[in-house]
Amino acid sequence: MVTAPPLARLYARFVRLRVLLLVGLGLALVVSFLVDIATGPAALPLRDVVAGLLDRSALPRAQGVILWDVRLPYAAMAVFVGAALGLAGAEMQTVLNNPLASPMTLGVSFAATFGASVAIVLELDLFGLGANVAIAGSAFAGAAGATLLIYALSRSVGATKDTVVLFGIAMFFTFNALVSLIQFVANTDALQQIVFWTMGSLARATWGKIAVIAAVLALCVPLSLRDAWALTALRGGEEQARSFGIPVERLRLTVLLRASLLAAVAVAFAGAIGFIGLVGPHIARLLLGEDHRFTLPGSALAGAVVLSAASIASKLLVPGLIVPIGIVTALVGIPLFMALVLGQRRAP
Amino acid sequence: MTRGLSLHGVSVGYGRRTVLSGLELETVPPGSLVAVIGPNAAGKSTLLKAIAGLRPASGRIVLDGEDLAAMAAHRRVRLVGYLPQVLPQGTSLVAYEAVLAALRAVRGDGPAEVAIDAVFDQLGLRDLALRRLGEMSGGQRQMVGLAQALVRRPRLLLLDEPTSALDLRWQLTVLETVRAIAARDRSIALLAMHDLNLALRACDRVVVLAHGRLLTAGPPEQAMNPDVLRRAYGIEGRVERCSQGFPIVLSDRAVPRSEPSGSATP
Repeated sequence: MVTAPPLARLYARFVRLRVLLLVGLGLALVVSFLVDIATGPAALPLRDVVAGLLDRSALPRAQGVILWDVRLPYAAMAVFVGAALGLAGAEMQTVLNNPLASPMTLGVSFAATFGASVAIVLELDLFGLGANVAIAGSAFAGAAGATLLIYALSRSVGATKDTVVLFGIAMFFTFNALVSLIQFVANTDALQQIVFWTMGSLARATWGKIAVIAAVLALCVPLSLRDAWALTALRGGEEQARSFGIPVERLRLTVLLRASLLAAVAVAFAGAIGFIGLVGPHIARLLLGEDHRFTLPGSALAGAVVLSAASIASKLLVPGLIVPIGIVTALVGIPLFMALVLGQRRAP
Repeated sequence: MTRGLSLHGVSVGYGRRTVLSGLELETVPPGSLVAVIGPNAAGKSTLLKAIAGLRPASGRIVLDGEDLAAMAAHRRVRLVGYLPQVLPQGTSLVAYEAVLAALRAVRGDGPAEVAIDAVFDQLGLRDLALRRLGEMSGGQRQMVGLAQALVRRPRLLLLDEPTSALDLRWQLTVLETVRAIAARDRSIALLAMHDLNLALRACDRVVVLAHGRLLTAGPPEQAMNPDVLRRAYGIEGRVERCSQGFPIVLSDRAVPRSEPSGSATP
């Protein structure tokens, strides 16, 4: 008679499979990243990309400049912005117990857009650091302000998941209207900037901006992983989680603020890129389940892969032209979003 | 120190509305199964939540001589296990990690494998260990919730309608398992239940709640009688004994609204 292996051994095998899937996502990201760098108007074969990354002097000067000063920041920005939005979306969806929650659907992205638009129209220049810093700072102020407002309003009436999402929807429409108002009164130059910025684009990527996003991710990822067990327990039911001694309200506030920071820094440097915060976590859940030790890094990786792939598509859609990446993610994201909504309706 | 659970003037409310008022319960000894019964909105779930620390309560809830409200949160969590009435449906957590998370959230990174193996065996859940909760029936999810509550081997188990989604066989299996665990660990199990006959058969004591008050408490054959049925549930009924000696409730008719019964509107 064959004795069934202990559950712990079965589960260890199950976990190993998830680790392999996580590694697979990582490999997919590396491939997508390299292809993104190799894709563009100037011919830069994959072999040269790898050689140039390992040793800049291995390439002719012009190609070196294209690789290191144009393509690499663009591709790296896609990876970091995708990771930040993916992680933010996963955390928001878990604490709000709502698979449709994301920086975009909670209005955080549009609050950041509003902040940036104000900076553009008023030609703000924070402490003489230039317009880019002012736009980024103003976008962050908008996102953080919206999150704090949602949280304060929710607390005043009891912070249930439904009220938070309802306030998020209200924020979405409010800031959308305010951005339209600013567009209405803006002069031609400012209007062009705002419209370009609201489309979402990686074209303004610089190493300085990438460093800021990387630093925010380096701060947030360990904090997210520290909360992984609590978030996993929360997926098993809020009352259960409370009975395990998890301070659910405090966890919800901390996670929402962390997700807002991630979303704000992404939106501040790349504009309003939608659907990554929605689709990334769904891919991660599909592949890795809801043990947040895997779901959280998986969502960041999936978000990065999707935005990196969108970046490639944005260069290939119209020959000789880079379509703003926000348009690409919206075109791909809307059918996915509809599929998710319909999937929710069919769920038992 | 008196071992066991007792309530002293416990009141619980939601905002300004008082749901339970001045509950007094003499010490329930370790190893007991206690059914908390009563009509809809009597406060059964609220009482369990208050004991679990999920609802603020006034008065004293004493376990093994210690007031639970005065106890540090991390200690209370280790002593009290709670199974809510409703468990989420749309999650892709697998059963094993749901139970593992219950343990990790309370104990941190301590050893978990042996305890989880044991509780899955005890509840006959081994085949469901790697199945997603979202793909399970309501009864199976309830069993996993029970495993989450049992895996920490708490001193006090609070189970809110633990058999409501189970078929007859599983109802008896769960209650027998809870009894075996209570006997082994000398723990106390409080079960909010709607099925009077199951409660009278499986539990050592019953606590009858009605209109936010404790109507009566004691061994089933003493606590349950036609007068209690009329006052708590608003029915005319009898309490008889089956061939195996268990008390069973036979309901004859609902007391018309014009007659005084004491039952609240459902």
